Amino acid sequence: MKFRDYYETLGVARGATEAEIKAAYRKLARKYHPDVNKEAGAEEQFKEVGEAYAVLKDTEKRAAYDRMGANWKNGQDFTPPPNWNEGFEYSDSNFGGGYEGDQSEFFESLFGRGRHTQGGRGGNPRQGMNFKGQDHHAKILIDLADAYNGAQRTIALHMPTQDANGHVSTQERKLDVSIPKGIKAGQNLRLAGQGGPGMGSGGAGDLYLEIDFHPNPIYRVDGKDVYLDLPLAPWEAALGTTVNIPTPAGSTLELKIPAGTATGRKMRLKEKGIPSKEAGDLYVVPNIVLPGAETDAQKEAYQALEKAFDFKPRNHLKG
Amino acid sequence: MTQTQITWITGSVVEEEVHMSIVEISRATRAPEDLIMSWVSEGVLSPAGSSPEDWRFSGESLKRAKTAAHLTHDLELNTPGVALALDLLDEISRLRNQILREKII
Repeated sequence: MKFRDYYETLGVARGATEAEIKAAYRKLARKYHPDVNKEAGAEEQFKEVGEAYAVLKDTEKRAAYDRMGANWKNGQDFTPPPNWNEGFEYSDSNFGGGYEGDQSEFFESLFGRGRHTQGGRGGNPRQGMNFKGQDHHAKILIDLADAYNGAQRTIALHMPTQDANGHVSTQERKLDVSIPKGIKAGQNLRLAGQGGPGMGSGGAGDLYLEIDFHPNPIYRVDGKDVYLDLPLAPWEAALGTTVNIPTPAGSTLELKIPAGTATGRKMRLKEKGIPSKEAGDLYVVPNIVLPGAETDAQKEAYQALEKAFDFKPRNHLKG
Repeated sequence: MTQTQITWITGSVVEEEVHMSIVEISRATRAPEDLIMSWVSEGVLSPAGSSPEDWRFSGESLKRAKTAAHLTHDLELNTPGVALALDLLDEISRLRNQILREKII
């Protein structure tokens, strides 16, 4: 297990005041918040910052953490000394909110797991009470083709589960899910009764799966519309041609490229986007690519072009 | 030879097929109902219906409400702050999509 330097994570000195710690946390939390920052790794950073703050904002936890001394370095191998937290008492409450189950091994070895409150309202349910189980949320990645054709996928989810003694552990749970045709990135699939277990006659909560697509090297997706960049040779664009293009559904379409096609002038293939009641469109974006002139014959071909045209591409610059 | 029968779980696409009550939104976001009411009064969410008991939230509201709940909890934003952040996030997403549409590799 690696030691985590929470002061370094927040970028504050060991003697920092509560106000300084709070300000540093807020600044980093805004920067890395996964709803705000879409960069890869932001969510990881956000969790680390949150974990550091959960310890340092809490007088008892901070005192216990400080007692381990200032000589530990971030990433150093670490085993908690025996009885290191003797005499400290924690009033452990909702760490992390919607991101439970994300503490590092280091945090858990020192402070245990955050307690998960059933029903989202806190408090220990008394025996004999009936209430509905918690709703769970998870993100899953699917292929763009699955949205075109519909699919059946077995997905693995890591769910924090609590046993009868209140111990929490992360368990892998496999679910066989039908992906409906026409689903789009950012949409949620609600699986009724697949969330947390209820109490008494309360029934289980629901599971919400937020859908996103695996990055695709060929297509870009905007809602229900799909974009495909189509490289064209200069003569193909100038004279017109017919090309075969692959569709995300797996078929091939024959596309007529009109003479005089310019880079960036989109061609719309109506209703070839993601299907739904109102299907999206597939846009083909021509991109004219120039072959390099390497052999003598190729150079002559470019020189012949120059002679054939009275082409002044920089006329407007008056250069 | 035995065949294993897999039962595929079918869900409903929240954004297209589902309308949610304030109780359902509250449960899904773990945000208390009074907080959801304050988002409605600030225009963060626009349910159909005249009173909280009749409110019907479109599926699109769920994502907004989830983000609002995260921002409220994680950054301790107040309701006007959440409203402003969501508007700015919408604007960023609109601009990102515009770049994506025009991008040439």
